[in-house]
Amino acid sequence: MMAAAKQTAGEARRGRRARRVLALLGPFLGLLLVVGLFSLLAPESFLSAYNFKTVATQTVIVGLGAVGMTFVIVSGGIDLSVGSVIALASVVTALLLRDGRAPVLAVLAGVCTAGLCGLVNGLLITRLRIVPFIVTLGMLGMARGFAKYLAGEQKIDAPAYWLADLMTKSPQPGWLLVAPGVWGMFLLALFMGLVLRATVLGTHAFAIGSNEDTARLCGVPVAQNKVVIYALCGLFAGLAGVMQFGRLTVGDPTTAIGKELDIIAAVVIGGGSLAGGEGSILGAMIGAFLMSFLANGCNLTGVPNYVQEIIIGAIIVAAVAVDRLRHR
Amino acid sequence: MKPSVLRFLAVLPLLLLAACGDDGAGGKRRIAVIPKGTTHEFWKSIHAGANKAGAELGVEIIWKGPQKEDDRDDQIKVVEDFISRGVDGIVVAPLDDKALAPPLSDAVREGIPVVICDSGVEWDGHVSFVATDNYRGGVLAAERLGTLLGGNGKVVMLRYQEGSASTMAREAGFLATVTGKFPGIDVVSSNQYGGATTESSYKRGEALLTAFPGVEGIFCPNESTTFGMLRALQDAGRAGKVRFVGFDSSEKLMQALGSGELDGLVLQNPFLMGELSVRVLVDHLEGRSVERRIDTGARVATRENMDEPDVKALLAPDLSAWLK
Amino acid sequence: MSGAAPVLLCMRGVKKSFGAVTALDGVDLEVRQGEVHALIGENGAGKSTLMKVLSGAHAPDAGTMELAGAPFRPRNPSDARGRGVAMIYQELTLAPHLTVEENVMLGREAARCGFLRRRPMRAAVAEALRALDQAEIPPGRKVADLGPGARQMVEVARALVGEARVIVMDEPTSSLSRQDSERLFAVIEKLKERGLAVIYISHFLEEVNRVAGRFTVLRDGRTVGGGALPGVAVAEIIELMVGRKLEEVFPAIPHEPGEVLLRVQGLEGEPLPLAAGFELRRGEILGIAGLVGAGRTEMLRALFGLNQVIAGRITIGGAEDGGAPPRRRLAQGVGLLSESRKEEGLALNLSVAVNATLSCLAPFARLGWLRRTRQARAASRWIERLGIRCRGPWQPVSELSGGNQQKTALARLLHHDVDVLLLDEPTRGIDVGSKTEVYRLMGELAAAGKAILFVSSYVPELLGVCDRIAVMHRGRLLKPRPAREWSDSAILDEAARGAAG
Repeated sequence: MMAAAKQTAGEARRGRRARRVLALLGPFLGLLLVVGLFSLLAPESFLSAYNFKTVATQTVIVGLGAVGMTFVIVSGGIDLSVGSVIALASVVTALLLRDGRAPVLAVLAGVCTAGLCGLVNGLLITRLRIVPFIVTLGMLGMARGFAKYLAGEQKIDAPAYWLADLMTKSPQPGWLLVAPGVWGMFLLALFMGLVLRATVLGTHAFAIGSNEDTARLCGVPVAQNKVVIYALCGLFAGLAGVMQFGRLTVGDPTTAIGKELDIIAAVVIGGGSLAGGEGSILGAMIGAFLMSFLANGCNLTGVPNYVQEIIIGAIIVAAVAVDRLRHR
Repeated sequence: MKPSVLRFLAVLPLLLLAACGDDGAGGKRRIAVIPKGTTHEFWKSIHAGANKAGAELGVEIIWKGPQKEDDRDDQIKVVEDFISRGVDGIVVAPLDDKALAPPLSDAVREGIPVVICDSGVEWDGHVSFVATDNYRGGVLAAERLGTLLGGNGKVVMLRYQEGSASTMAREAGFLATVTGKFPGIDVVSSNQYGGATTESSYKRGEALLTAFPGVEGIFCPNESTTFGMLRALQDAGRAGKVRFVGFDSSEKLMQALGSGELDGLVLQNPFLMGELSVRVLVDHLEGRSVERRIDTGARVATRENMDEPDVKALLAPDLSAWLK
Repeated sequence: MSGAAPVLLCMRGVKKSFGAVTALDGVDLEVRQGEVHALIGENGAGKSTLMKVLSGAHAPDAGTMELAGAPFRPRNPSDARGRGVAMIYQELTLAPHLTVEENVMLGREAARCGFLRRRPMRAAVAEALRALDQAEIPPGRKVADLGPGARQMVEVARALVGEARVIVMDEPTSSLSRQDSERLFAVIEKLKERGLAVIYISHFLEEVNRVAGRFTVLRDGRTVGGGALPGVAVAEIIELMVGRKLEEVFPAIPHEPGEVLLRVQGLEGEPLPLAAGFELRRGEILGIAGLVGAGRTEMLRALFGLNQVIAGRITIGGAEDGGAPPRRRLAQGVGLLSESRKEEGLALNLSVAVNATLSCLAPFARLGWLRRTRQARAASRWIERLGIRCRGPWQPVSELSGGNQQKTALARLLHHDVDVLLLDEPTRGIDVGSKTEVYRLMGELAAAGKAILFVSSYVPELLGVCDRIAVMHRGRLLKPRPAREWSDSAILDEAARGAAG
């Protein structure tokens, strides 16, 4: 009997793993295809360590946003406010730095402000029972407006201290190879991937996205989980905002307009389903890198901007179409 | 509809291939020219000028703006990607006087010389700064407006956007001159920003006109604020009744100048800016010494002089020869 | 055995109304430990409301409930579950994207510092599945990849892990194959042995006879009878359920079959049916029986052009084709009444008038503007003719009862003046009175020369209404035979096993 139980357990693990691998195969092949294509088209410039460093740095903001967004999308929600929240976090960070506060404090304030936005999203969605689309659409406007108000409708010049080093392409010490921000993104993605797969919170996120009524029936604290998930998404948008500040070295209230759509696209390309119940952090990372490589490759090969926009749009639709086929 | 979509998808790879065909163009020098955006007339003139210099000097011009118009982060990405691509030189019109400094430093570190055009940046690694003397442009505008008003009256200045060095210099030049040279003129508002788009300038213009009904003179420091304010004046039925001096040109602004709704337009010479930026960069690459600061000049177009050939060339440049 | 087992669940005089509608009007129910208790009633008799009260989804207005001698007043479904009352609903409540294991343990995960401890969870799941003799269900498989039978087992396992004392099964076999049903009956036997009480809701009376030890009949929100099984004749139970003699339920309206209106040959659709052929005559009602999933609905949808036709010929009034879109079918005088009234059949937020005239708005429109008075007049005619109970033509359909909603959907077909009516489960979810009205209407329509194809899962009504009946088995439509040659059990038998030969 023990042997039988072990066997089923082993099979269970294998089954889970096989499914996950299969779900990631599509986006991963897409990524390989894009990298391969541009490697052929522009071998010297595209296939260089320097260029890969560049792309990695360019991916950090969307990548961090996508980590939080994956939780939201897995739970069957959506957060349209992340672009604005990124701007708000970068403005708050810049403001505190300008006032001579310690960088750590400024970063903390920026991230917490963003987390607060997420918390408000979650509370409005669960308490007032308004659909996430509307609540976060409202937050999109409110956070952007608040960022502009705080910044006096101007960009904020502030000393960047070590924050600028977060996104540099020549990091110190040299053995880091890529910017500390890139490492930060990878480590956080790894950790949150674990949280999504191996914690009660993660399982509940999947359960809520898969069948909210069932989750409620089984005693899952649905509202509580949702609040946590949206707050988490806000926190990650805040981290992305800090990175945005590090990159621009100014607090710009008009930055990251429309970034939420890139972030959602990354999650969806990576196998996330807007109907909920599906998605993975690894997939979202692959999606984010796919879009970065595509934009970078287009720039390197001199593809006009409008063609690039058309291609990215087509890829999003194709990714979802492939996903539908896989489910048939 | 379906076949056309299919046809388009079939053409996409060809577009890609055609686009990269340029890459292997022999031993030609490749110079990247990065504007703030790609859709405005102003940038098209710069593009044409750069193309002219490129053709005459035998260098390849790669024209690439940020994916999203006026997005700082996207412009940084374009600079970074050109560094990766390993071009011979970069001409850039920075969207921000600070944010662009780190990537431009990266470029210089990778051995790529940089010419700044149009707008300044707080960074001294550049080969040369080719731009209108914007402060001087503001002075010209102030002189025109002050003369028209006879040295008296209430004046409004609608600013463009904080962080845009070129327009800030114009605003400073205007303010210093109008208050210094014309003590009878009262600047009733100079703290409002029109923002990036015509639409936002339009709304701000409407608000200003409502707040200051007695205003007699207006100055706007670029094309979008000028046009937005013009629309607001037209809506309020006050176009032509208020003395109005703007900056840069477009089809609509030219008409307004002809009909007397605008009393002056300070014109830059973007075509020359594009051309000189490339020339100065090539000079540098070929080891000649170059000027650190090059002024491409500005002059005021009025209803009276707008048909003179050299003003006309600035107002409505014929770019077709240089833009395919 | 009788009387020996203590009473586990006891409901007395339970009442519940929604606004003016009284759903429960004094229900008594007594369920003993280790017994399977069948709850029987027509649709609309109050079974589902009773279950919702029991599961904590609704609070009763009056009456008492006791579980194992203690007062039982669950605040919500999760509370009821926690106290040992688990529901297994008709539409299964599993999270399809989660694995069997995750579903079973949902809401009671073993964790340390928020991180799951898979080992004890897996042990608990394996234990539960073994207790049900279902160890072959892989705990790591996604529920979406399981068949309906296995999914039901997962539900039962979840109840077991939750230490349920009473398990309520609502029409558990309605979407199961015969084989899976057998599997379920075996599991129910296991549950009984463990001392659990099972409340078994079904209107398959033969099934009830086989599984249950006792039964209670509900009608119009009231307990009208009960007793021990087996030992009561099926006809007796039916009459208890409907509250009248069988003859009164199915009004006999004479109608004569005329010329062939619809001929179907070798119809194959995507994904079903595999093969279907029949003739339908003017003034005839042809019944189609079969298990859920046999392909009856798909056959209607293929005929009406909603599903793709792969092969076959369809002849309507002399014109032959190999499948045509709904617009053309409507033009040919064919109408479909969808099985899912709420999702597809009606626009619930819109009014009776709009719903009744939706497919044929042209007569009321001038230059794209609708002329509301004419629309209302036309709708009122149908409201009167079909006896739709509503406040007026502009009342939203969502406010009507199931029966009146169904009549509104029928009104649309009639308003379109179709000759061939494809009716998919037209009496599902409506009360007995309304059913009788629908039967009468069908008879009148047949008498007026319409041809009716009548798909139903409720065998007595097929026997009561149809001229001929054909059974669909696994995508193949078997030979139609006159209704009088069929019996209740013959139909069920053929539906489960295919042609008897």
